[in-house]
Amino acid sequence: MLRKDLIRLDLDVANREEAIRTLAEDFVQAGVVKPSFVDAVLEREQRSPTALPAIAYDIAIPHTVSAHVITPAMNVAVLKHPVEFRQMGSPEITLYPKVLFMLAISDPKDQLFLLRRIMKMLQNKELLNQVRGAQTKDEIYDFLKPVIDA
Amino acid sequence: MATKIRILSICGSGVVTSSMVASKLRDMFAERGYDAETVEANSSEVESYCTRQHFDMIAYASPIGNNFGVPAFNAIGLITGMGEEEFMEEAIEALHKAGK
Repeated sequence: MLRKDLIRLDLDVANREEAIRTLAEDFVQAGVVKPSFVDAVLEREQRSPTALPAIAYDIAIPHTVSAHVITPAMNVAVLKHPVEFRQMGSPEITLYPKVLFMLAISDPKDQLFLLRRIMKMLQNKELLNQVRGAQTKDEIYDFLKPVIDA
Repeated sequence: MATKIRILSICGSGVVTSSMVASKLRDMFAERGYDAETVEANSSEVESYCTRQHFDMIAYASPIGNNFGVPAFNAIGLITGMGEEEFMEEAIEALHKAGK
């Protein structure tokens, strides 16, 4: 699920669209989603945002419907500078996530155990702080691997 | 015998977030003696679900607009882990009002 090769550290992007497009295109390159995923995940973020005021700091979990997904995957991007997102469920609220977790879920029923692990990760303050403070992709992978792909 | 309830879990795509919320709600209601059946859908499907089926509550992670005659609660706190108790207090109060 978690791909070390897709982790982005110090991702330098100007805005939300550039951030999401970069991560979504990484997914396309890796063959985990169809090319249609890119526009779908951008459109979804516009219509129904995915940023969350998580316990450690703001995060976002961009994702879209399963039709665009080939195989389940998650990537992590630590941004060089936080960019503006809208809060899930309350689009009038602006958040500035520094860490993004893009999700590709092909069958939510089948992958419920993964969704539960991801939710646990999002609620783990220490783990989120470790991810934000990591100096290398290997560190991020080692922190998250036991939680996500246990 | 656990009291059966039905929850409509809503998010933007009707897939990822609503499944996380639904899973959490089934667990949290089970701890409180309820047998929660969940249906996951996206925000544009709320009206058609509410007119065709009975739900005891809506948990939403994407704005749902109108009042559909069903108690509705913002479910973001269930995903962040902050505000779970408040969510459950309000939800159970609504169930009690409905005699469940």
